[in-house]
Amino acid sequence: MGVRIRLSKQTLQVLDALLTRPGQWLHGYSLSQSTGIPSGTLYPILMRLDKLHWLETRWEEAKTPGRPPRHLYRLSGTAREWARDEIRAAQERRFWKPAEHEA
Amino acid sequence: MSMANEESSVTARLARWALWCAVRHWPEENRAWGLALAAEVDETASAFETVRWSLGGIMLFTRSVISSAWAWMKLPAGSSLSGGANGPDSPSLLPKRSRVFTAVVLAAAAVLLILPEGREAIRTVRSSWRGYELSGSDERMLDELAARAEKEKDAGTLAFAALSTLDRTRGAAWTDRAVALDPQFIWVYGARNHGPKMDPPKKEWLVRLQAADPGNAVPDLLEADALAQPRFATFYDDGGKNEERRRLLASDPMWMALMERASRAPRYDSYFQRHYQLAQTVWNRERNLPPTIVLYGIWQHALPNLLNIRTYSEIEIAAARKAREAGDTKRAEGLLGDVDAFGMRMADANGPEIEKLIGLAIARNANKEMAKLFQVPGKTEDAGRVAKRLEQIEGRVQEARLALNLSRNARAKAFRTEAVFVQGFGTLSVLAGFAALSGVLLLELWPGRFRNATTIWRRAVCWAADYAPATLLLGCGIFLVSFLPFQSAFEEYRKSNFLLGDEQMLTDAMWSLFEIPSHVAGVDGAVEIWTFVTIALSVLLLLVLVRGFYRTRHAVVNPA
Repeated sequence: MGVRIRLSKQTLQVLDALLTRPGQWLHGYSLSQSTGIPSGTLYPILMRLDKLHWLETRWEEAKTPGRPPRHLYRLSGTAREWARDEIRAAQERRFWKPAEHEA
Repeated sequence: MSMANEESSVTARLARWALWCAVRHWPEENRAWGLALAAEVDETASAFETVRWSLGGIMLFTRSVISSAWAWMKLPAGSSLSGGANGPDSPSLLPKRSRVFTAVVLAAAAVLLILPEGREAIRTVRSSWRGYELSGSDERMLDELAARAEKEKDAGTLAFAALSTLDRTRGAAWTDRAVALDPQFIWVYGARNHGPKMDPPKKEWLVRLQAADPGNAVPDLLEADALAQPRFATFYDDGGKNEERRRLLASDPMWMALMERASRAPRYDSYFQRHYQLAQTVWNRERNLPPTIVLYGIWQHALPNLLNIRTYSEIEIAAARKAREAGDTKRAEGLLGDVDAFGMRMADANGPEIEKLIGLAIARNANKEMAKLFQVPGKTEDAGRVAKRLEQIEGRVQEARLALNLSRNARAKAFRTEAVFVQGFGTLSVLAGFAALSGVLLLELWPGRFRNATTIWRRAVCWAADYAPATLLLGCGIFLVSFLPFQSAFEEYRKSNFLLGDEQMLTDAMWSLFEIPSHVAGVDGAVEIWTFVTIALSVLLLLVLVRGFYRTRHAVVNPA
């Protein structure tokens, strides 16, 4: 395995959201919507994941003229495996449960 | 659109504007993330969401600024987060110590100097370089002290301020006010210094003092000084001949009458002890008063002119000699007896050492003359009595001198050694502080300029930024530790009862501190500095000439 880190519950939530449709690019706002994590917490998590090379990012030209380009995110190929391992380990430790299981 | 919606949309617009403002000032190294967050704000579904999203962004901005500042602080002075002074991957010469290290060390040095002990040390050493003259800030401090004393109707503190200030007008006003508040302080009329131009005390003050303190020789002596001062000012300055001085003073009947009254007065009190005790009381209450203010007042205490007293005794002894030669031994004995008694009153008073020694010297001279008077047959018993008295006086003189010298030798030597450390490390701290600030500021303010500077200059600035802060901290520490004996001398003075030894110890302490500045600023110091400069410049000139000569020879031997 690559870089092992201690992950917070919110990070696990973000990883879970990114793993829902692994190859698909997601916007920050939609990630926030799906996880319920506010921007002030979400972006430091994304920045950290990016620093660890778990994340692939790209800029997308805005569809509406005059608006700034938007940033897109998805987990890198290897990171998907690591993320699954981390989520599994957290569940086994009863540290964290995915949202749908909590309901 | 409803009113509520309008308000929320205004709030949302404001929040969006604030977020974009934050993006503009976002730290460069992660500004892309700020842009990414801000780009999403237009996708928010409601005004509430917009505000929430923007607030999150502003929080992230704050966090980024703090972490960026911290990362910047961990780098050495002159470098930026995007790389060294010469760019990201340039092997530019930069200091080894981080900004955090420099800031912590400078802050520690500042804390040491801001402590009460540090401030007292700085004030004392700084005033030693001014010859212990009161500065503008000292005078302002006295103003504040007097204003507070006036408000609290505190006659003692007002009297202290009056005795310490150099300002004649304010000093006179505070003296009058102190006496009006508490007539016990009338002695201040006779003790107020006459500086800076040695003006005599006011006539009306002396009249009131004479009335309030009858039987004390000092008010009369001060009045006699006031009479003699304008007439003999030039004479004293020139240090004129004794004979001429005696003739001039003896020809002034008013001066002679006052001196005669003073010499026959039953008491001699120059109010030095009261002044000393007052200074102690005020200093114990006002701990933040600089030692200079306290001691300056005591050093400026208006003692009667000792030269006048000595001259009067010489006139009387001369008169006694004439009477003896004329065969009027009774008158001669009476005159000499008066001089002897007056001298002993001075010596037994609670005055400073110099006053005691002058008193003893006067009594000794009178008794020496008296001995001549009794060198005749039939006066053996009187001659023996005078010889015994002379022996006693001589013993007291020797005792006082010995005590003074012994204590001065041992104590003054110790203070002198400490003073070298205090002045040396004080100077080192000033230089190190200057070097540290210059080094750090030059690197921070003009990093680009140092990119183009020659290596030696860059190295010098980096060296200053690296080592000067630590030198400053070390210098300040040793400076304060070396100052401890002086502080304990001040403390002992505050605690002591009236003892001349305490005053002498304090004088030794202050004098030892003053010796180095007086040498550096004095004629010897100037000569040494200019000698050094001349030799250094001559050596430099010689080196330039030798280098030029060799280069020329080299060019001739190996033409290009």
